[in-house]
Amino acid sequence: MPAHHRTSILPTTRREFLRLTGGGIGLLAFGRFAPAFLVNSALASAPAPEKDRSILVLVQLAGGNDGLNTLIPFEDANYYRLRPTLGIPAGQVLRVSDTLGLHPSCAQLQRLFQAGSLAVVENVGYPNPNRSHFRSTEIWETASGSGDFINTGWVGRFLDNTCAGAPAGNHDPLAVHINTPNGEPETLVGSLPHPTFGLSPFGAGRGGSEESRRLLEHDSPSPGGGDQVSFLRQTLMDTLVTEVRVQKVLADYKPEATYPGNPFASSLRSIAGLIAGGLPTRVYFVTLSGFDTHVNQAETQARLLGTLSEGLAAFQQDLQAHRLDGQVLTMTFSEFGRRPGENESKGTDHGTAAPLFVLGSRVRGGILGSAPKLDVPKNQDLTYSTDFRSVYGTVLDRWLGSPSGKVLGGPFPIVPFV
Amino acid sequence: MSLSLSVGDAWAPLPASAWEEQAVRHLLRRAGWTARAADVRRALGEGLPATLDRLFPPAAVAWPEPDSVAGLERDLPDFHRQVAQAMGEAKRKLRRDAFERSQAAVRDMSVNWMELAVVPENSAFEKWVAFLGNVFVVATEKVHNAAYVYRHFEILASGALGPAPQLAKAVSRSPAMEVYLDLAENRTGAPNENFARELFELFLLGEGNYTEADIKEAARAFTGYRIRPATGRFAFAPRQHDDGVKTLFGQSGRFGGDDVIDLAYCQRAAGAHLPRRMAAFYLGDLRLPPEYEFAIGDRWRTEGAYDLRWLVRNFFGSRIFFAPEFRGNLIKSPVQLYLGLLQDLNLDVMPVPRFVLNPLRQMGETPFNPPNVRGWIGGRSWINSASLGARRALVERLFTPLDGAALTADEQQDLVAARAGGKSRFAMTESDLDAWMALSPDQVLGSLQENFLSAPPNPEFLSQLRQFLQGRATDPAEHRRRVRRAILTALESPEYQVC
Repeated sequence: MPAHHRTSILPTTRREFLRLTGGGIGLLAFGRFAPAFLVNSALASAPAPEKDRSILVLVQLAGGNDGLNTLIPFEDANYYRLRPTLGIPAGQVLRVSDTLGLHPSCAQLQRLFQAGSLAVVENVGYPNPNRSHFRSTEIWETASGSGDFINTGWVGRFLDNTCAGAPAGNHDPLAVHINTPNGEPETLVGSLPHPTFGLSPFGAGRGGSEESRRLLEHDSPSPGGGDQVSFLRQTLMDTLVTEVRVQKVLADYKPEATYPGNPFASSLRSIAGLIAGGLPTRVYFVTLSGFDTHVNQAETQARLLGTLSEGLAAFQQDLQAHRLDGQVLTMTFSEFGRRPGENESKGTDHGTAAPLFVLGSRVRGGILGSAPKLDVPKNQDLTYSTDFRSVYGTVLDRWLGSPSGKVLGGPFPIVPFV
Repeated sequence: MSLSLSVGDAWAPLPASAWEEQAVRHLLRRAGWTARAADVRRALGEGLPATLDRLFPPAAVAWPEPDSVAGLERDLPDFHRQVAQAMGEAKRKLRRDAFERSQAAVRDMSVNWMELAVVPENSAFEKWVAFLGNVFVVATEKVHNAAYVYRHFEILASGALGPAPQLAKAVSRSPAMEVYLDLAENRTGAPNENFARELFELFLLGEGNYTEADIKEAARAFTGYRIRPATGRFAFAPRQHDDGVKTLFGQSGRFGGDDVIDLAYCQRAAGAHLPRRMAAFYLGDLRLPPEYEFAIGDRWRTEGAYDLRWLVRNFFGSRIFFAPEFRGNLIKSPVQLYLGLLQDLNLDVMPVPRFVLNPLRQMGETPFNPPNVRGWIGGRSWINSASLGARRALVERLFTPLDGAALTADEQQDLVAARAGGKSRFAMTESDLDAWMALSPDQVLGSLQENFLSAPPNPEFLSQLRQFLQGRATDPAEHRRRVRRAILTALESPEYQVC
């Protein structure tokens, strides 16, 4: 709300802050206890790249999406052997090659594939797969080996490398997460603190009154405090500043696509709005949950893949209409695929490798990687052929423009989707 | 992390001399929702052991079945008969109606539980049951039957302070669990591993303390666990059960589900697992080193015979629980924030589900619906800009009079019923501020800190609040407004979010 904007002692953007300080108001105008991040951002005068920056949108399919029924090898007899009831007949798949088809509820993704802006990387996984939701999610989020434990996320480390020394105290969020069930995803956690912002699917949280906010602005974080209260103060301060700005950006945003009425699509609409609003955010993270289909998978997965396909299509169309599509790369991931052989409950149990989608106008569309071998006994899992860190490495090297070796701790072969 | 106590001293009982006001507040806020002045005085007089006896009473706190849930249970046999007879669209409609009815019952039940838990005498027990519910997780998102979820929490409450293996066995028979982890789909020749995996990983042992083969064998042992549709109660189906020999943890036999639980509790890891979960829930993000977990875990197994009351007394009565590194640094869960606010302000739970459940959802915790089988992980994961905004909005709401015109007819009826039951304090009124009006600005700040804040506020913030309270103190209406705003701001502050 603009009223907040006018009465706050805090600037709503780093630029505005620099303008105010440059205009002679000076740091002292913000009191002796000016928040550390503002002091830092004043000292670091190099502006963050705000034009033509590349943006990554991560879509987490939480629960473990069944890859075999997402990208269907309809010419492979083994597929129908493994999936006596869940197998999707060749006549119903949405063909993307002579042997592969998308799930019938992915019509929009098929259209994007035909337009050349969708890449599907087959059979992505990692050695010694873990079948626990939490451990495997952690492996994907931290980009660690199966037996290694890292407490930072791969995007967090990217921000560590890219933004250290630059105005790290800038309170414009470098990463935004929306609709994530557990708050900030581990993916975004770095060894340095980075400004991140969380949104509910339908917009920024409503805060307290103007008067309380002005008082709370003085409960500023003490530099270097690592305890919970410092963390809360830092988050609150970032929130107060960002909240005003984000609310305004989203309220002013005019989407040029019709988004479906569900939280996932609303989240994507907000992301489009924030990108169009010129936030310097490099990474957006959104979650679509419910893929843990142990029982009666067909209906649930069809609904979820439909939500995914239609949401992404609206998002892409919106970005194109705003001529922002060249700046954005969208990628899906899930903690694991599911067991190739269906279980006796018309569902599938936790498995290993699965395909993932990469979407964007500058994506080299098509099918990449190689298909899993399906000549496995009933209770066996797939063996991955593309390491997920190859996908991350490609995004880092070729999209975000940050050397992947430092983030991933070693080289991984490029997957040429961009 | 450096701890102030060695592993040998950590779990020794807190000396009586250390039982002072700040220690009392620490226990009351961590074990329950908050520390009201009267409760602090009482506990200080009673001493720690007697206080623990009172917080964790000998008999489970009774949670009377909400009417909407009872109605669902009563109609269940009839519903199954109707569904069996119906066809096509009629069948779908029956199912949809039942689903919607259950959703409504879940909302009703959630408010009802909040009403139970906000009673100060029930707080520590209900928080303990909520903790157990965050270990033995079920979620209404998958269990579309409010009655099953209610019965699940009844199982947890009735076994909450008894032998842990007995509770785990009861949970394996809980219809909500059967549905949530697909146990009802597990049968001979077609084992479903979902329950067996989470039983070891999350409920009893923790990752790394079992093998994939143990899971496969355990899944076979749990075959035949069913729900009888007409009654909605557990039933064992011998013909669905795999009676063959299984090998787990190096032992072989024709094991059933209960045997698997007993075998798991023979593992040393079982003793340390629940204390580890308790430390995460009650002590916070600082993880105890494994040797501390084993120190209490081994004693729990040998001296305590896996009795949960033994564990509760030895955990909350220990020196480590009161150690300085665990004071004032636990981020309150949304439910604790909400119930603590109500207790601090002496307010009643608003009997209108959306007014209670929307703020909880926006803060990230919908009762009975954790995001996944690991439950809420708590700590910093509660806090982001959206949830902090929602926390502040909740405080504002509790200081805003209810707008009767904005309620639906049903909601107005609920409100009338609540008032008839003696509950009418749903928001702070002007007269609630009377006691504060006589205080000087410094006394107001002192009272806010002593009663509400577990961590010291920033001096600059305090001085701004003081200035704000001093401004226009001669105008009584304006002064009252400012006192109200100062209380609100303290409750929205970072320092109120921790305990």
